[in-house]
Amino acid sequence: MAGITTHVLDADRGRPAPGVRIDFSVREGGAWRLVKSVVTNADGRTDAPILPAAEAKAGQYQLEFHIDAYLKAKPGVAEADIFVDNPVVRFAVFDAAQHYHVPMLCAPGTCATYRGS
Amino acid sequence: MDPSALTRRSLVGAGLGAVAAPGARAQAGPAPPSALATAPKSQAGLGPRLTLHAIDNFHGTPGAGMVCDLAIREGDAYRTLKTVTTAANGRPAEPLLVDEALKVGQYEVLMHFEAYFAGFGVALPRPNFLGLVPVRFVIRDAGQRYHLPVLFTPWGYSYYRGS
Repeated sequence: MAGITTHVLDADRGRPAPGVRIDFSVREGGAWRLVKSVVTNADGRTDAPILPAAEAKAGQYQLEFHIDAYLKAKPGVAEADIFVDNPVVRFAVFDAAQHYHVPMLCAPGTCATYRGS
Repeated sequence: MDPSALTRRSLVGAGLGAVAAPGARAQAGPAPPSALATAPKSQAGLGPRLTLHAIDNFHGTPGAGMVCDLAIREGDAYRTLKTVTTAANGRPAEPLLVDEALKVGQYEVLMHFEAYFAGFGVALPRPNFLGLVPVRFVIRDAGQRYHLPVLFTPWGYSYYRGS
């Protein structure tokens, strides 16, 4: 399958992160154009692929994860401890025939992302 | 432009030209980074500052010669404050911000991953999965010390508030 998917994990708790807003943008003419905003489900994934296989196209893409709001809504997180607020991941789809899974592992003081599978 | 030109110039300027690998490639062609010969540096007891450490988890070395653009958020845009290049130990020669220059706000360090790995001759797709990587974080207390380690490979990265 081609296209783009993501998965938001709450690395602080070792659980999926539900209810996280993700803004998906594409690079067009030297600027980022917002394609859509989606929200993670109970499994920390989006109900539909971020970019479905049928629309897969080479290019530069961006995911902005609204971790700040997610963390603030959780009991036990002090706002003062939130160092990584809204991480942005920019990546290239260099071969539209491949699939790009881009997870986000988040916690108040850190985040990680990688090309997953 | 040769993506390592800035790197080479900066490292030579800092007296480190002989240590870092990117500077050597003009003569020897792409080479792996130099052997690990640096030790951690404690910053305990120092005043308010923002410091950066790039760590190359692909080669298992400091991320020497990484070009980084520091920017602060103003409205909906990021305004570039400075561009630095990491030295042989993976750290810029000076803290990114010190004392009164450290202000509360949302920051971005834009790291030039693709140019970095190209400088070492690492074979990757073009464009690579990760090219210009924004590392975003927030400084909430200008009286504290913030250390920002970034652990990276061509295919992923993590960063955290260090010490």
